[in-house]
Amino acid sequence: MQSQEKKSLEEIRKELKELLVVNLALEDITPEEIEDDGALFEEGLGLDSLDAVEIVVLIQRNYGLEIIDEEQAREIFLSVNTLASWVHDNLGD
Amino acid sequence: MNVAITGIGAVSAAGRNLEETLDTFQQGNRNVGAVSLFSTSLSYPVFEIGEIRGEAPDGEMRTITLALCAVEEALLDAGLGSDLPDFRVGVCLGTTVASQLNDMDFYRNYRSKEPVSIRSIDRYLKGNLAEAVGRAIKVRGPSVTVVNACSSGADAIGVALSWLRSGVCDIAIAGGADELSQVPLCGFGALGILSDSICAPFDRDRKGLNLGEGAGVLVLESEEVCRERGKAPLLYLSGYGSAADAYHLTAPRPDGSGLEAALRRAMFEANIHAQDVCFINAHGTATPDNDKIEGSVFRKIFGRDINFLSSKGFVGHTLGAAGGLEAVFTAGALREGWIPASAGFVHQDDEILLSPVREKTPITGRFAISTSLAFGGNNAAIVISRGPMNESGAQDRGSA
Amino acid sequence: MNVAGIGVVFAGGRGIGILEEALRAGWSPPSRGEVSSSSGKTMPVYSVEEKTIKDRAVLKNMRRADRFSKMAVLAAWDAVKDSRIAINQEKASLGIILATAFGAQVTAFRFLDEIIDYGDANVSPTLFSHSVHNAAASYVASALGNHGPTLTVTQFGFSFQQALILARAWIQEGRCENVLVGSVEECGAVMEFICRQKLEIAEDGRISPFEFSPSPLAVPGEGSVFLVLSGGDGPKRYCELRDVFLDHQSSDAAPDIRILDADGMSDDETCYQEIASQDVMIAGYSPLFGSMMTGSAFHCASAALMLMNQTRYACPVQDNPHGIRLCTSTEQKKLERIQCVKYSCLRERAVIELER
Repeated sequence: MQSQEKKSLEEIRKELKELLVVNLALEDITPEEIEDDGALFEEGLGLDSLDAVEIVVLIQRNYGLEIIDEEQAREIFLSVNTLASWVHDNLGD
Repeated sequence: MNVAITGIGAVSAAGRNLEETLDTFQQGNRNVGAVSLFSTSLSYPVFEIGEIRGEAPDGEMRTITLALCAVEEALLDAGLGSDLPDFRVGVCLGTTVASQLNDMDFYRNYRSKEPVSIRSIDRYLKGNLAEAVGRAIKVRGPSVTVVNACSSGADAIGVALSWLRSGVCDIAIAGGADELSQVPLCGFGALGILSDSICAPFDRDRKGLNLGEGAGVLVLESEEVCRERGKAPLLYLSGYGSAADAYHLTAPRPDGSGLEAALRRAMFEANIHAQDVCFINAHGTATPDNDKIEGSVFRKIFGRDINFLSSKGFVGHTLGAAGGLEAVFTAGALREGWIPASAGFVHQDDEILLSPVREKTPITGRFAISTSLAFGGNNAAIVISRGPMNESGAQDRGSA
Repeated sequence: MNVAGIGVVFAGGRGIGILEEALRAGWSPPSRGEVSSSSGKTMPVYSVEEKTIKDRAVLKNMRRADRFSKMAVLAAWDAVKDSRIAINQEKASLGIILATAFGAQVTAFRFLDEIIDYGDANVSPTLFSHSVHNAAASYVASALGNHGPTLTVTQFGFSFQQALILARAWIQEGRCENVLVGSVEECGAVMEFICRQKLEIAEDGRISPFEFSPSPLAVPGEGSVFLVLSGGDGPKRYCELRDVFLDHQSSDAAPDIRILDADGMSDDETCYQEIASQDVMIAGYSPLFGSMMTGSAFHCASAALMLMNQTRYACPVQDNPHGIRLCTSTEQKKLERIQCVKYSCLRERAVIELER
């Protein structure tokens, strides 16, 4: 779990990009090359349904946050920005 | 060549044998509850069996004990016992849990570099399902454990059909078995497809599956062996179809073309048309994807009036056992002349536009199908019939 | 059935050509793992190198796949390419049967790590879905775009032999025209540990197949072999796969060579001595690829090569304390029939018979 001091949005974006590359075994792309507003699914990074549930577990494991259902996930998982913003908003102070 | 089903046996949360199971189906009882077989932080409801029978010999794996229960019932039903050694008997059983060294105590000790019990390793090495069952009932013949995830049981029956047709053995014992286990519970939970309430296959508000455990086994014989034994079979395994989606590791092909191909192959082998099918025992896991795809394929091939159900509402998703159990339920239904309500179904889903049967339904037709869809994209369909093909190869349609 | 194509991934590399080179070159030492804290020794292992399973083109949709699946896909892909059979997506005329004794156990143990380290509710769904035995066959079907029947089977005794029997049944009943049959095994830290507990390890890395010892020595291996089998009228690039015998049966015709599966995996190999002492030339090539429950597949591939090339290959390790008639030199020779013989831990026997 995270340190007591709340992370900045920028820190979370950076962490998420690293988590995505490592845990989803993304090839030919470094964390720095992932666009903040680029689509995560279909076009863009081209992630699929298995990646989606993997991200749910990664968020749970690394930030202690639970994503309740598919509807919610669809909105949050649009891009690194939407994901980072949601994590940032829901992390305790 | 006709392949007869001469014996059937089943053990699941719905009953320790077929008679108990049919009673549960009639009463509409759903024996679901919290996990008690092992400790877990997960609270998903499951279909557990409870105590099977006494202490298993030599720390025998639960999956093997379950399999042997169903095998014993099926052999008794077939009137086979002391005469088994006179025949070449193949054993083909599907499983998921029994194929892996998922012994958590062993692995914890290994990781923490504490002394490891060789007993766990030996138990695993002696625990290949088909090999263990073949040894227990003392038969000689081909032996294979099928590990095709959720279609394992159905595919094992398909293997046995191929064996009998090609003369590799005279009799085959085929089906599947799986115990409830922490590992798939965690895995399916992580995939987000377990429901935190009782499953509702094909229902508009379905939220996912419940795991279960059990074993379902058929005894299959060539007609020639039946004649030799003086056995007049009622039921036949008439067709089997299998097709791969070749699409994705966990998601089914959205257009259902793999399932459609498997169904059409099975019906082709049985020499029947869609209108000959009196009911389908669906895979019906109660996940949004599976039921939608399966329902749409049924509508496409069989039309909106086809009788179908998911028995997973009574026994849960028993993974490697599912295809075996569902073949037994399909055979049992043809024999008894009725199918139970599709437990858990209340509201039609407008995206499926089909409803499974809502109450106990008499059936008078001769042909029924059981379908199975698996992770990894395997699709299997089995046709079971009352009565054999006639000599010309066409089904003896007789009176419906 | 005819053997129309072969694909191989093993410690020596990838491809049937590489296997042929290894058969000609003879024994080379296996790699060594790290020093084990429990035994204080390094383990000799015939490991598949990482560079062997790199192929961006063939493995393009497999970023999450583990080594087990990658070995399977590359061997299967190569077998189909070798056979020159076209995959017909409409007719779905190719079946796939994958045989394995232990499955993707490295990934399975990684999943157990997750349960222990993160708890039941925080485990990786990707690891779980790759830990099941049939993930590899699913990847094979996807990589080939093949929609025919796809099956994974497991057994400790005769997985590969049973897969061949089923392949023949599928072709005979018209379920498919051709069958891609293969085996895959992977070694890893836990498997090495189990090997130390259950087997006698050849510390010098040399499997000696003709000791016929009551406590034979093993060197664990890993890899994958796939054969494309076609019906009687189909393409026959290598040889005919004539029959598979179980239950101590075999054909009456004596083979030119018997290849023994003796590799230290069973706890007593004295049973090989009787069949080795008959007046038939004996060979054994497990010192090239290591000890595996499904090692028969490698011997089957070797036999097919020998029949196609009309060449017998010298045994890589020729220790011969029982003075049996051993194949000791590589030479062109008229070869009609080769048998591959395996005894299981329970002294059951299987024989695969191949003919020119």
